[in-house]
Amino acid sequence: MKKMTFDFRPWAIPFILIIVWEVVVQMEIVSPALFPSPITIITTGWNLTINGDLTTHIGVSLGRALTGMLIGGAIGFALGVLNGLSKNCYHYLDTTIQMIRNIPHLALIPLVIVWMGIGEDAKIFLVVLGVLFPIYVNTFHGIRNVDPNLVEMGRMYNLKGWQLFRHVLLPGALPSIFVGLRYALGVMWLTLIIAETIPTQAGLGYLATNAREFMQTDIIILSIVIYALLGKLADVIAQFGENRALKWNASYNK
Amino acid sequence: MKHEPIQIDIQNLQKSFGKKEILHDITTTFKKGEFVAVIGKSGSGKSTLLRLVASLEEITQGDLLFDGVPAKNSDANVKMMYQDSRLLPWKKVIDNVGLGLTGNWSALAEEALDKVGLLHLKDEWPSTLSGGQKQRVALARALIHEPSLLMLDEPLSALDALTRIEMQNLIELIWQKNNFTALLVTHDVSEAVRLADRIILIEDGSIAFDEPIAVPRPRKLTNPLLIELEEKILNRLMNGREIATLNEKQLAVSPLNLVVNP
Ligand SMILES: Nc1ncnc2c1ncn2[C@@H]1O[C@H](COP(=O)(O)OP(=O)(O)O)[C@@H](O)[C@H]1O
Ligand SMILES: [Mg+2]
Repeated sequence: MKKMTFDFRPWAIPFILIIVWEVVVQMEIVSPALFPSPITIITTGWNLTINGDLTTHIGVSLGRALTGMLIGGAIGFALGVLNGLSKNCYHYLDTTIQMIRNIPHLALIPLVIVWMGIGEDAKIFLVVLGVLFPIYVNTFHGIRNVDPNLVEMGRMYNLKGWQLFRHVLLPGALPSIFVGLRYALGVMWLTLIIAETIPTQAGLGYLATNAREFMQTDIIILSIVIYALLGKLADVIAQFGENRALKWNASYNK
Repeated sequence: MKHEPIQIDIQNLQKSFGKKEILHDITTTFKKGEFVAVIGKSGSGKSTLLRLVASLEEITQGDLLFDGVPAKNSDANVKMMYQDSRLLPWKKVIDNVGLGLTGNWSALAEEALDKVGLLHLKDEWPSTLSGGQKQRVALARALIHEPSLLMLDEPLSALDALTRIEMQNLIELIWQKNNFTALLVTHDVSEAVRLADRIILIEDGSIAFDEPIAVPRPRKLTNPLLIELEEKILNRLMNGREIATLNEKQLAVSPLNLVVNP
């Protein structure tokens, strides 16, 4: 019965805008070829769903995003933990990592194409590069900023090595790691959108680029909307995970 | 696990941080099962002494023996309770108590929580507890390991007066029931007098006096012997200087709550 208090206010303006848009297109104040009406877009979306095209393309894009996220996230997390725990590793690695971090990864696209061609590798590589650093930085700071008093206490209670990491260091770093994860998810979609403009045979980017050649503005807008929805969905899932994992934190920070 | 109180011998102990000497010429013995209170001004090195005994700091010079064996080589079970209870905020109360235990410990943890009267809070997050409750959980967490030496570094100084008295009674009870040597740092002289077999004053980096308290337990804070002792110690602390005015103005009002360093 939670829905009883549904708040319509945030949705009022988007709803009105869509209605106005529909009306304006229906009255042919603007060209329907350039500004397809919401109903046209929904119909297109439905048709593409029915014939399976849309799910295929979304699947391909999601696959790229998640593969890149997993690889980049794992590398960033591992480096963050390593440098957070070991001063020596930090001194050897951090400067190098920071230098690479300062290169805008999207500026590497031409080079990446030359090196890796225009296949899947190049796109996934760009996502990896994009998500690696936010995860690294936040994991590193999270581990470093765990209260040393708690670490000392843990040691006194016989926690060493993996046990100390599992019970004290990792949970202590988790709030910061989640900040990194949510930031990385944003970078992931942005990188993917741009990476998918590199010529390709499938994916939402392909759908949009291909539609451009045939002036199918409805499909272009549809793919933009789907990118937005997927981005939102990823954030909601991350937030859900965060709330579950950090239940203690909510009351702790009160 | 070996569970016997230990004797601690400290011989010519000296501790410096860099060039700064904190403690010197500390030689003393804490007998098996003895309850020793360490008092002294803020920054006098009380915590450092405890941390040295707990091997949390390196001894610069001198020897530390547990039952005659160098502390480094001893497997004696030493636990410490801090002023900030240092509970892990991401673990429920019961999981904090079971920290560092292996095997099936939940019954043990419940028993330990029961001893400190907090079994009903076992599934709470630490952040929802009061200061006194947090210290009780920290006490349970230490007790479950059946320490041979329990050190308490100003465990009650953040608590209100009533809770403090309650906790003092609890600590005394637990010390009487469980076998361990106890080392309590406090800046509350009445607390030291109430709980300890012996009071040690750290001043200018060494032991300035060492006073046994031969008052039988259970002790009442209103016991004239204790009040006299407290006054004597306060006198010594102030080097006789301002004790007269203190006597009139504060001792008369509240002999129980005089602290060395408010
Ligand atoms: N790790 C450390 N490094 C340098 N100085 C320290 C360190 N720990 C304590 N000290 C210094 O040692 C002195 C005694 O500290 P402490 O033992 O905490 O005093 P107390 O517990 O009696 O208030 C203080 O001057 C403090 O600044
Ligand atoms: Mg101290």
